[in-house]
Amino acid sequence: MSEEVNAAAARDERPVKVEVRHLTKYFDTLHVLDDVSFDIKKGEFVCVVGPTGCGKTTFLNLLTKIYEPSEGTLKIDGELADPKKHNLAFVFQEPSSFPWLTVEENLKFGLKVKKLPADVIEQRVERIIKLLGLEEFRNVYPASLSTSTEQRVIIGRAFAMEPDLLLMDEPYGQMDIKMRFYLEDEVLRLWREIGTTVVFITHNVEEAVYLSEKILILTNKPAKIKEELVNTLPYPRNIASKDFIDLRRHVTEQIKWW
Amino acid sequence: MAANKVILQIRNLKKSFSGKNGEVLAVNDVSFDVYDNEFLVLLGPGQCGKTVMLNMIAGLIEPDEGEIILNGKPVRGHDPKIGMVLQRTALMPWKTVMSNVEIGPKWRGVGKAERQAYCQKFIDLVGLTGFEKSFPAQLSGGMKQRVGIARAYANDPEILIMDEPFGALDAQTRYAMEEEVARIWDQQKRTVIFVTNNIEEACFLGDRIILFSNRPATIKEIYPNEMARPRDMISEEFMKLRTSISDNTDLAIDTL
Amino acid sequence: MVKVNKKGKKGEFKETTPLDVVYFILPFISLGLVVFLWYSVSTNKPDMFPSMTATWARLVKLFKQPIMRVPYYGHILASLKRVVMALAAAIVIGVPFGTMLGWNRKLDCFFGSIFNIIRPIPPLAWIPLIIIAFGIGEFPKVLIVFIGAVMPIVINTRAGLRSVDQLYLDVGTLFDANRRQILMEVAIPSAMPAIIAGIKTATSTGWMVVLAAEMLSAKSGVGFLVTRGMDANDMPLVLVAMITIGIVGALLGVLTSLIERLLCPWLQIK
Repeated sequence: MSEEVNAAAARDERPVKVEVRHLTKYFDTLHVLDDVSFDIKKGEFVCVVGPTGCGKTTFLNLLTKIYEPSEGTLKIDGELADPKKHNLAFVFQEPSSFPWLTVEENLKFGLKVKKLPADVIEQRVERIIKLLGLEEFRNVYPASLSTSTEQRVIIGRAFAMEPDLLLMDEPYGQMDIKMRFYLEDEVLRLWREIGTTVVFITHNVEEAVYLSEKILILTNKPAKIKEELVNTLPYPRNIASKDFIDLRRHVTEQIKWW
Repeated sequence: MAANKVILQIRNLKKSFSGKNGEVLAVNDVSFDVYDNEFLVLLGPGQCGKTVMLNMIAGLIEPDEGEIILNGKPVRGHDPKIGMVLQRTALMPWKTVMSNVEIGPKWRGVGKAERQAYCQKFIDLVGLTGFEKSFPAQLSGGMKQRVGIARAYANDPEILIMDEPFGALDAQTRYAMEEEVARIWDQQKRTVIFVTNNIEEACFLGDRIILFSNRPATIKEIYPNEMARPRDMISEEFMKLRTSISDNTDLAIDTL
Repeated sequence: MVKVNKKGKKGEFKETTPLDVVYFILPFISLGLVVFLWYSVSTNKPDMFPSMTATWARLVKLFKQPIMRVPYYGHILASLKRVVMALAAAIVIGVPFGTMLGWNRKLDCFFGSIFNIIRPIPPLAWIPLIIIAFGIGEFPKVLIVFIGAVMPIVINTRAGLRSVDQLYLDVGTLFDANRRQILMEVAIPSAMPAIIAGIKTATSTGWMVVLAAEMLSAKSGVGFLVTRGMDANDMPLVLVAMITIGIVGALLGVLTSLIERLLCPWLQIK
């Protein structure tokens, strides 16, 4: 399978957006991340899976530049990543909207901080509200939303920023299957419409196979890339199809985390 | 299911609460039977009133209407034969693992040496040997829930209710704990009533799955599940059951 | 079978950042500034504010030459003794009383309103009444401190018992605890952090009240040193007493934190 997949990767002619080379992190003597190198193409949807405690969080914090790597570089558009220059957006497992702002004000918040012109803000927020179908919730405060709807607002807020790189850390970790399927389709819709480059960290292999164009499978600590897997299944994907299940089984085997 | 002997009968349970906008019906006319030594899963969306139902069975709140019949006798208040593992673990942070596990026998007045020897068995069973003197704050989420399970077993209930015990755990720990619970249930046969909103978890654990509707909780369907254990979450059989249940549930999306 | 989270046990791996160095240095800078301020004020207005050397000399003299036949440390001990006695009484009476109010709704209703009226009266306002009733001996001073110390203990204990998580009470029901077991083994331990917070407040309140009480009528104690310095126009003595009050008060804070550590070991984890 992998040859076919690599050929498909070669055919992908999008420019490289994020270039990670030899990323390594030690905390004192604890070796967390070991010589990780990979590329993310512009507009690509990459999922990262790996055993718990394998250093996924450290990996994410290196990408967001919360930590400085011990060795290695992270480049965005050919330049060393710099949170002041590059536009990075995050979505975490727990929704983090501002309780004193309405849904619409929450969506506008980051754009206002960026001091974008009012008409651009208006236009982007309207687009997100429409894509998410949140018209009726526009003037509602987060306290009266369920966790899943609040998380949708947060995801919308992140996409509205049109970031260079959007990092999502298990955003659907606590949702039931039905809701997860719904939100997965929604995030794919946003991604396709807006063309954002996404790194999506998850524990859920089914989710990774359903969403991604590429899956990075990490090993146990110190985390290395065990496999970089290009996922060429055509969208929309059928979770019950043989190809899907084969791929899911393969990834699960690769992780063997419990 | 082995003997199909009914141990617990739930009959026409009904409960409503007074909320801001008047009476809210949480549980509406729910009746079902629980068989001896079965692993019964109650499955329902987020706030469907499952917890209210459990709290009535455990005797923490009183039903407005209906009856709970244990071994042919109606239950009033809390019956010591019914134990419970709570979602928020509810371990006492000021007690060590051993002191938490032994509260049942201790409060019944069992002597220290005897009860600690007895509780040690269950601490070993859940794989926490060596952590007897640790405080809950020193344990990970999964380990805390193991203590909760040991504590419930150490009180020697006939029926063990588990209220979304893994709701707050991360995915991997959750998978590991699901296997643990299946293993423990296999070794220490008890009747288990396990509540969850996770379809995968329900299919993995249950001998039978009772699917509830959104609030007020009413029974939508009962699924027998005779898949061989240990179960494979990627098998065709598993996916089929999961899909058929998933198609039958309501998407809990907000509306105004 | 169980994976132990090594990270949590051995402590986080934290790098020493330049900011950590700044955090370490800042307290010394502020202390230095105070010393400098003291120095410049006392040089400019020597008659109003004693110099550091004069204050130091007064301290040395105080060690050699007792006031009212009580040595320096004797005055500290005298104040501490009053606080400790009052505090002990406040704990012995305040904790059970607060527990009663927090646990029993009827008792809370019965005592609540009286307590709420007495509470805002500052301990020092009691002084005239207490002097009429008990004179100016040792007991009235301890009583005044007691009044100051018992209030936060009762208030915190009551609040602690009121806010016991229903979840823990449910566990009591589920494991068939009787009412006494629920109170002793669930409610009181769960309220312990609040109770100890009350004792901490009581200690610092007590220390402030004892000094005020001593300034009014006493022949020993650090508060007495302040009055004595004022009466004798001995400003260096006033400063020595003030600094003593500050340091002893801070040490008392450390001591109560240590006691908390001892009584609530589960709070020290993390």
